[in-house]
Order: sequence, then structure tokens, then C-alpha cells
Amino acid sequence: MSGRLSILIAEDSAADRMLLSTIVSRQGHRVLTASNGLEAVALFEQERPQLVLMDALMPVMDGFEASRRIKESAGEQLVPIIFLTSLTENEALVRCLEVGDDFLAKPYNQIILQAKISAMDRLRRLQQVVLQQRDLIAKHNEHLLTEQRVAKAVFDKVAHSGCLSAANIRYLQSPFALFNGDLLLAAFKPSGGMHVLLGDFTGHGLPAAIGAMPLAEVFYGMTAKGFSMAEILREMNAKLKRILPVGVFCCATMLNLSFQRRVVEVWNGGLPDGHLLRVASGERVPLVSRHLPLGVLEPTAFNEAYEVHPLLPGDRIFLLSDGVLETHGASGQLFGEERLLEVFAAGHSPERLFDEIQAALAAFRGEAQDDISMIELSMVEDGLLARPALAFSDSGQSSPLDWSVSFEFRAEALKRFNPLPFLLQLLMEVRGLRAQGGALYTVMAELYSNALEHGVLGLDSRLKSDAQGFARYYRERGQRLQALSEGFVRFSLDVVPEAGGGGCLRIRVEDSGKGFDVARALDRPQDKECLSGRGMRLIRQLTHHCQWSPDGRGAQVEFRWPA
Amino acid sequence: MSDIHLDQNVLASLLDVMGEEYPVLLDTFLIDSEERQRHIHEAMAAADAQALRLAAHSFKGSCSNMGAPMLAGLCKQLEEAARRERLDEAPTLVEQIGREFAIVRILLKSERQRYR
Amino acid sequence: MAITAMPSGDGQELTIHIQGRFDFSAHQEFRDAYERVSTTPKRYVVDLKGATYLDSSALGMLLLLRDHAGGDHARISLVNCNPDVRKILSISNFEQLFQIG
Repeated sequence: MSGRLSILIAEDSAADRMLLSTIVSRQGHRVLTASNGLEAVALFEQERPQLVLMDALMPVMDGFEASRRIKESAGEQLVPIIFLTSLTENEALVRCLEVGDDFLAKPYNQIILQAKISAMDRLRRLQQVVLQQRDLIAKHNEHLLTEQRVAKAVFDKVAHSGCLSAANIRYLQSPFALFNGDLLLAAFKPSGGMHVLLGDFTGHGLPAAIGAMPLAEVFYGMTAKGFSMAEILREMNAKLKRILPVGVFCCATMLNLSFQRRVVEVWNGGLPDGHLLRVASGERVPLVSRHLPLGVLEPTAFNEAYEVHPLLPGDRIFLLSDGVLETHGASGQLFGEERLLEVFAAGHSPERLFDEIQAALAAFRGEAQDDISMIELSMVEDGLLARPALAFSDSGQSSPLDWSVSFEFRAEALKRFNPLPFLLQLLMEVRGLRAQGGALYTVMAELYSNALEHGVLGLDSRLKSDAQGFARYYRERGQRLQALSEGFVRFSLDVVPEAGGGGCLRIRVEDSGKGFDVARALDRPQDKECLSGRGMRLIRQLTHHCQWSPDGRGAQVEFRWPA
Repeated sequence: MSDIHLDQNVLASLLDVMGEEYPVLLDTFLIDSEERQRHIHEAMAAADAQALRLAAHSFKGSCSNMGAPMLAGLCKQLEEAARRERLDEAPTLVEQIGREFAIVRILLKSERQRYR
Repeated sequence: MAITAMPSGDGQELTIHIQGRFDFSAHQEFRDAYERVSTTPKRYVVDLKGATYLDSSALGMLLLLRDHAGGDHARISLVNCNPDVRKILSISNFEQLFQIG
């Protein structure tokens, strides 16, 4: 006996009704009786019994119609209906099972009746459990979506501190890409260049999203402080390796785009080929994955080696998540790399390519895309992009105004350490300099790379006059730096207040190199096609005063600020 | 067709189920049966085959529950005739039902006497 | 998806066969394949002959196996990779961590 039920009996014959009520109530149930279908429906709506015993043929309204109405009124709840019938034709019995759940033939057998009531009660409870679980799942799902919305809102605050809206960027990303594990970050460097990262974490849902936050923080934090791409990659890898469980990692491509030097540095660990398109020649350079994804290797084994490609204004770079290549067509085949390359090879004008890729994907799949990430970057003339002022978290009230300091970085330090973020941080304590933070960084970066590359390492910038030499230059740079055993770059910073409230910063940079013919370098004609030689002119434009020591082993520049 | 007017086994199990209410059940059946037969007569008079079929069907059900197999059998024949719209067969069957019910009624009344 | 594990006669090597799509749905089965063996194999072979597809979750699972087998000291080879599977492994530069044949 499975608990007390409330059971409605609808039967027009008084004797049968009485007999049945007695049997059912003796079995411990609460009984409600009706003598026709209409009464039965009314009583059902009033009392909501859990089970119905229904005579098939009754005056006023028959059992079939009454059952139909009761089922409709019960909605999702299962209210089992057992037909009471002396009908014998198959057709009639089938009809009983179409509107009802079972039937019981007259004359009644109370054992069979009891068994049927129990069986129907089990079915009813099962349905109840299913409904409860469905509602619970729906509730959990809603909860999860709310959590994802909150997580996304928080994440957007971090992600949107970047510059994806810059004029040279177009991108495509689903609003919930984060939960597909996709991540797209872009930020201006203090020097005016741009760091871009397309990442794809293993898996889906929250586990895939969880690493995005620390990755974005490292990316934005270190980029803003002027760290190089290699340093940022190293830090991101170390951080992910430390916090993510084994088996969760991030395939990523990172770009360092320099508008002033007209180069892009590329590091690809585990993402499909990116594509660099040269607008003048129509040449396509694949940006191939050469590394394990971020978060796999121990920091000591990590390799941040990147490739350097020269760019001209109008050249474009495309990065895509593997969702693009794995887009499924109607008949189940994948979009694949071949189809993508066909789009590139089809001779579209460069500014149409982004749309053409999207159109090809849509045509292939036959519906809108919602699980892919794609970004297009264009090389533009330096200074063309509007960029936000550097942001500072303190009030700038405690500004030190009269000091000097000198640093000497020697061979072992030059190999491993980038002094620029460190020096810039120090100088940004001076409130008057903050407005020129970008220019200051650019100038310091130029002075430092001049001192290191041409001074300490003795590299000739004329090597960089074509794409091949360019690659050779950077290869040489790496080799010579690795082999470096002596040499130094010295920075002397001198901050003095000026009468009337403003101030002046003097930076002196010296190196251990052989020096160069200052007069000749400055006289060299401005050649637009030349991939180097812009450095010195840039320094002259950005500083209030600059001069090179006659032996070419040092330079001194000045920044002034008003009261 | 069964030639038993009243099945004592059925009555015994009804007594078992109903307990004290057993005589009330017998009374209820007898009163209800008069009603059923009235419906049968009305339907036949109106030559309404559908109503006749329904009335016969309903009476058949209670007769089978109350252990009157011969009466149930006659109701079934009437139901069949009505289903086939053979109203010409009805008067004979209705008369037979009346006679059989008279017997069942006497038997049930005497059964009823035992439980005063 | 069907994953079976077959130890070699001397128990030194465990071969894990992957059948069908190798993706997140195979997570538990793949783990069971190397965790529920009575022997402690010195070498692992993941036979991808029957693997039709492999996604980044599968790469993660391979890293878990590598961790289980001793991290940098693990000896794991991935064999019978079809061209698609090999391509995915090479994009991720997994040849730096696994012997791929």
C-alpha cells in the first residue's frame, strides 16, 4: 500500500458506484464520487484528486470527454485515469488508453483494482519527480546564467580597459565568447604601439573562463607599465601554469605592433596560423604556431622567442580562433584552412577581406556565427590613432621635485632585464611629467635601444633597409645579446624645479659602444622607405632639447613642464 | 450463455467487501435496476437505438458486478441488437430481461432477508 | 567514443586505444584507462588510429596523462595519428612533450 490517495470515482450506476467506493475506501483512500462526466470534471477542479476511476459510458457527459477535460485541467501533473468498462471491442479499449492510462473490466476484481491503483500511483510519483527535477535544473540553469552575466560584467570592465575600439582594429566576438574560452585583448603601449592577444582556453563554460581574468590583468597591467611582449608572455605563462590545473591551458597569439618602427612581433603558441597580408605585393605571410600554449611549460622551459615582420601602412594582420576553421557546414564537414585560404586568394580588396571571410563562413554554415573570434589589425601611419591619456591610480600630490639618480645596467642585466618600466615608474611619480608619459616612454625606449643595439651590441641600422636584412638584424641582435659578457648602458636622471613652479627633467644615456659619427647620422636624408633611422628624428621632435655627445657614445635630452 | 440466475460466489465476495453495508448494496441495486429498465423501455418506445444501447450497456455492467450472469447476458444481447440497429429484436429481449429480473429480484430479496 | 587500455605482457607498457571523437565527453573514460590499471607501466602508448577528431580538451587530457606518468620524465608516444589529428598536435607543438609517430 503506497500511501493514502484522494480518488475520484465517476460512475452512473448507483450500485457499481457504491461497490467501488467501498472497495477503494477499504483500501485506505479518500473517495469522491460523481454520477456523470460533467459532475466529475466539476469535482476534479474543486478537489484536485490524485487519481480518477472513470466509467466510459455515462449520461450527460461520457467518460472520454470528461477525461479529456480533466487531463487538460491537470496540465503537467500526471493524474492517472483508469477507465471502468464492460466494453469489449478492441477499438473501445484502445480509445480508453488514448485518453486514459489504463482500464478495468467489469465485474470488478478488487485485487486487480488495488494493483492498478498502486501502479498508477508509482507512475504519478515518477512524473512528479521528473517535473521537480526539470524545475530544479531550470532553476540551476537560470542561476548559472545569472552568474555568467555577473562574471561577464566584471570581466568586461577589465577587458574594456583595452583599445579594441581603436580605428585600426576590426573584430568579431560572440557576447558569450568568454564562456567558449575565447579571449581578445588589445592595449596601447606607453610608447604608442599596441599589444594584441587572441587566446583560446581549453574547454567550455566557467572552467574555460576562469583563467581569462588573471591573463587580462597581466596583459593590461604590464603593457601599461611599458613591459615588452616577451616579458608579458613569460609572466602570463608563469601565472597560468601556477594557477590553472594540469590540462587547462591557453592557446594564444600575441602581437606587438609598432607604428613608429613599422614592425610587428608575433608569438603564436597553439592557435591556427594568423595571416599577414602585404598590400603592395599581395603577399600572404602565415603567422605559424611555434610554441606550446600558455600555461603548459614551467617558467624555466618557456620560450618567448618571437618573429619580427616589417609592415607598411595598409598591411593587414588576421588572427582567428580555431572555431573559425572548425565551423560546421550543413552536411557536417569543417570549414577548414583550405576554404579560408581560398578567400584570401580570391583577390578581394584588402578592406573587404574581413567581411568576405564572415560572408564565406555564413554561406558555408547557413546561419549566423556565434562561437568564433576573429580580429583584423591594420598598420597605420604613426600618430594617426587617437589614444587615451595614461591613467594613474594615485592623486599625484606627493610629487618629488628635486633629485637626481643614476643607474648602470651591465651585461648580465642587459641580457635579462628591461629597465624601461622600472625607470618610467620612477619618473611617473613626478606629477608634471604624467601628461607627457607617452612621449617620455618613446624617447627613453629609443635612447635605450640605440644605446643597446648600436652602442653595446654594435649592430648597424643600415641592415634594416629591406625585409630580409630586417630579419637578419633581429637574429643578430638575439645572438649578440646572448653572447654578451661585458658592456653597460647608463641612465642619469636629474629632476629640478624651475622658478615659477614648473620643472625640468634631464636624461643622460651613455653606453660602452664604439660610438658613431653623429653629424653624418643626423644628415642622412629622410627616406620613407627606409625601415630605420627614424629614431633620432623622433627624439628631436618629442623633446624640448636634445644633443648627442660628439663621440656618439651618449645623448642628453630635456623634458620641461609648466607650473 | 450462463444459466445461473445468481452466482453465490459473487455474493459471498460482495458480502466480504461490503461488510455491514451489504444489504444497502442489494437495495441500491434493486432500486437502480428499476430505473435502468425504465430507461430501456423509454428508449425502445422512442425507437432510439443509441439510447437503448447505452441503457443496456449500463445495466449489463451492474448485473455482472452483482453476480447475475444470465441477466447480464440478456443485456449484452440487447446492447448488440441496438448497436446493429435491430430494434425489431428488442421487444422479445426486453421481455426476457423483465422476466429474468423478476427472478433475480426474488432471489436477492430473500438474500436480503438474511441480513436484517 | 570507446577507450580501451591494454597492458603489454611484461606490464612495462600500457597502450590506450581511442575510438571515435576524442573530446571532453571522453574525460572520465580516458582517466579510468590509465588510473584503473593494476600495473605501473614505464611507458605509455596512445593509439589514435580510430580517433576521428581531437579537440583542445583532448590535448588537456593528454597533459593530464603526462602529469600522471611523471611530468617531464613521462614516456608517452602518440601513434597512428591521421593527418587532421597530427595537424592539431603540431599547431599546439605537442611534439615538444610527446613522441609523435
